[in-house]
Amino acid sequence: MAKVKCTHCNLIFDESAMIIEEVNGDICYFCCHGCQGVYHLLRNEGLDTFYAKLGGATLTPPTNVPRDDLERFDLDGFRKKYVKIHHDGSNEINLIIEGIHCSACVWLNEKVLHKTDGIIEATINYTNNKAKIIWDNETIGLSQIIQTIRSIGYDAFPYDPALQEERATKTRRDYYARILVAVFGMMNIMWIAVAQYAGYFTGIEQRFKDILNVAEFVLATPVLFYSGSVFFRGAYYGYKNRIVNMDTLVATGATLAYIYSIYAMISKHGEVYFDSVVMIITFVLVGKYLEVLSKKHAVDTLDLLTSTIPTEVMVVHNGIKSLVAVENIAIGDIIEVRAGEKIVIDGIITDGAGSFDESSLTGESIPLYKQEGDAILSGSICLDSVIRYRATKDASNSLLHSIVTLLEESVTKKPKIEQLANSISGYFSVVILTIAIATFIGWYLYDNNFEKALIISISVIVIACPCALGLATPMSTLVGISVAAKRGILFKEATFLENMAKSTMVAIDKTGTITEGKPSVVNAITHQEFDYNLLYSLVISSNHPISQGIKIFLEEQNNNLHELKLKEMQTLQAKGIMAKYDTHSIAGGNDAFMKELGIKTTLSSKHSLFFFAIDGVLVASFELSDKLRIGAKEALLTLKSLGLKVVMLTGDHALSANAIAKEAGIDNVYHSLLPQDKAKLIDDFHAKGERVIMVGDGINDSIALAKADIAIAMGSGADIAINVSDVVLLDEKPQKIAEAYRISKRTYQAIKENLSFSIVYNIIAVPLAVMGFVYPLVSALSMSLSSLIVVGNSIRIKRIKFNKGNKNE
Amino acid sequence: MSSNIMILMLSVSTFLGALGLIALLWGLKTGQFDDQSKFIDGARYDNEEELRDAAMMEEKKKSQKEKKENYRPAD
Repeated sequence: MAKVKCTHCNLIFDESAMIIEEVNGDICYFCCHGCQGVYHLLRNEGLDTFYAKLGGATLTPPTNVPRDDLERFDLDGFRKKYVKIHHDGSNEINLIIEGIHCSACVWLNEKVLHKTDGIIEATINYTNNKAKIIWDNETIGLSQIIQTIRSIGYDAFPYDPALQEERATKTRRDYYARILVAVFGMMNIMWIAVAQYAGYFTGIEQRFKDILNVAEFVLATPVLFYSGSVFFRGAYYGYKNRIVNMDTLVATGATLAYIYSIYAMISKHGEVYFDSVVMIITFVLVGKYLEVLSKKHAVDTLDLLTSTIPTEVMVVHNGIKSLVAVENIAIGDIIEVRAGEKIVIDGIITDGAGSFDESSLTGESIPLYKQEGDAILSGSICLDSVIRYRATKDASNSLLHSIVTLLEESVTKKPKIEQLANSISGYFSVVILTIAIATFIGWYLYDNNFEKALIISISVIVIACPCALGLATPMSTLVGISVAAKRGILFKEATFLENMAKSTMVAIDKTGTITEGKPSVVNAITHQEFDYNLLYSLVISSNHPISQGIKIFLEEQNNNLHELKLKEMQTLQAKGIMAKYDTHSIAGGNDAFMKELGIKTTLSSKHSLFFFAIDGVLVASFELSDKLRIGAKEALLTLKSLGLKVVMLTGDHALSANAIAKEAGIDNVYHSLLPQDKAKLIDDFHAKGERVIMVGDGINDSIALAKADIAIAMGSGADIAINVSDVVLLDEKPQKIAEAYRISKRTYQAIKENLSFSIVYNIIAVPLAVMGFVYPLVSALSMSLSSLIVVGNSIRIKRIKFNKGNKNE
Repeated sequence: MSSNIMILMLSVSTFLGALGLIALLWGLKTGQFDDQSKFIDGARYDNEEELRDAAMMEEKKKSQKEKKENYRPAD
């Protein structure tokens, strides 16, 4: 059969399965009515140039499932939450558009929105798929706008940008502007400085030197006062809180060098140090900017989580259904939940039964079957049926809400140990400032010459090399971060490297972190020969993790599997699947299901079991369990050998928790934990004086992650977990935890080396300066030289070696 | 070499550089660099039609403004 491309979405299907239609003499193929509908809509609107712009890119076919949730977009509660009303009466909303694959999609959405009456402005960001729409509410309702977006095959979710995004974008822009100015100033001063240095060694007339000095002054001034103002602000806050921080040092160092240079420029003797001023500002600023950049990235993902929490639920009162805002739900209300919806209020099922995905609470991916009388927790997702339940808590006391609140609290109250990291340089700058003042007073009393005393005291600070000291930490952490990033470990902030190096304990989540998070076959028994295609066709019809595990196992074992046409497919909740093939009836499922069918099973195990029977005869049994990730054991051993305590925190029950812990070599296991319990344990560890690294991947780990000193998230984990984490492991190998720790240790060592070098250097140089022996040549050379040594030492971090097997990386 | 020439060269080159810097800062402030991908694709979708589209949006904005201004005395 010939394979052809769908005219709209470009996906390839069998010709026989396509809808064929002739449009204006061209034959068009459509994979579904959704694609066909969108195609005609675009043609009628004169937007069919979209397909030329699309090129070879593929789209997601639009879903034809009618969605009846449009009315909620016009409810007052919704409007209050997401819509911003401008003073001229126009409305503004921020949406995340789903289904954008390429820039042609962005073009199409913008175009269609622009053509819609009443929409005043519509801009879509291609990088994060976020849209800002301004419209006139008298001409068009929000629900119509969403309807328009859906009609062309995309979907839109509102989100609240006030959260953090606006602020993050603003700081990013702000830093970018500052860096542009700083780099501009630095590059220009550098080439003037080349002339200065050349002139210094070969002789230069004072009048030329003056011109160069003035030019440098003009360029350095905006760099110091505009680009450098962040350091002044930091120093001021530090002063208010009685902390001498890095900013104090950078600010004082740069300002004093600047003042001294102005003095040298006016008095026409001595050298100017404007180049040092801009250099230190630029380098430290770039380091700060990199941190801001990664923060902005994290914020983008957070909005996705909050946008999926429903704002209204369906309440059934005397047989009448109505949408009620979650805040107005009282205890005892009957709520109806349909398949695919997220529970926002805790309660007890009164009617119906179905499977619930509680992975965001326990981290376990296997759905739980719940029926009348069972309690359901908010945060879980109803997978397959319509149920009604009685609210036992109101919105603010429900689990989901308390998790969100706890999360917000712990993010803002995150323990800060970074002040400690800066304390060495902090003390140092206090000492230098004191010495400088003492020098000034000493020389003034001794010589009674104000000018000379001032120059000498300033030269003390200049020679004390704010460059080397200022660069000691940022240079090392920059190199550390880039080494880590190359290995798929993203540190969100430079200071986290230091914090991590100081940790004493690792707390690790089980499912998805050290295990793969999905069951895989550990043991397969064939009782009778049978056609594997039958089993394959049966399991691919189900999304249940067990079925998926069997499917992967079969694909690994057999090469040429193909799907057979099964009839009367039936999925029985929490039991198994049944179907007919020709005259045979086939069934696959758990122990209970087999018993129900009257088939005897012999296998019993602590793992999950799956049986397969044809015509009432058992032909195969499978044992499935969650496997340890490759290298998990070695990684934990490495961590232990590096002197860290290792504990495991999991929402899973004792049996499987202990089994995995034994396999991985972890002695301390805490099991059956709810999200709050994990967080409480972290607090307990803190109380015992431990500095905790938490590694996790799910929403259920997020509070604990936020509470820990250093949080590491798996790259494929829940967005919220990634957001609250300090470090993200992109390729999720457990070895990376150990690698991250080693990089942080190495970086911290380099920082210490750099600091001790600059201290030793200062112990030698400062007394000379105090005694007034500093010649311009010496100070100019020593300044650049000491900075170079610090930079060189930091680059040595790159030479860190990792375990065998990674050689080719 | 006269010092005047040096002053001229330095000031002219710095001034020209500063012009470029200001243009860049203006672009940044008006959000033209917020979306790298779109920024790059911008050239692909730049034609007469887009211009008409932009003009139409301006028109819409204006009429909205007028509507509000005319509406005001009523309340």
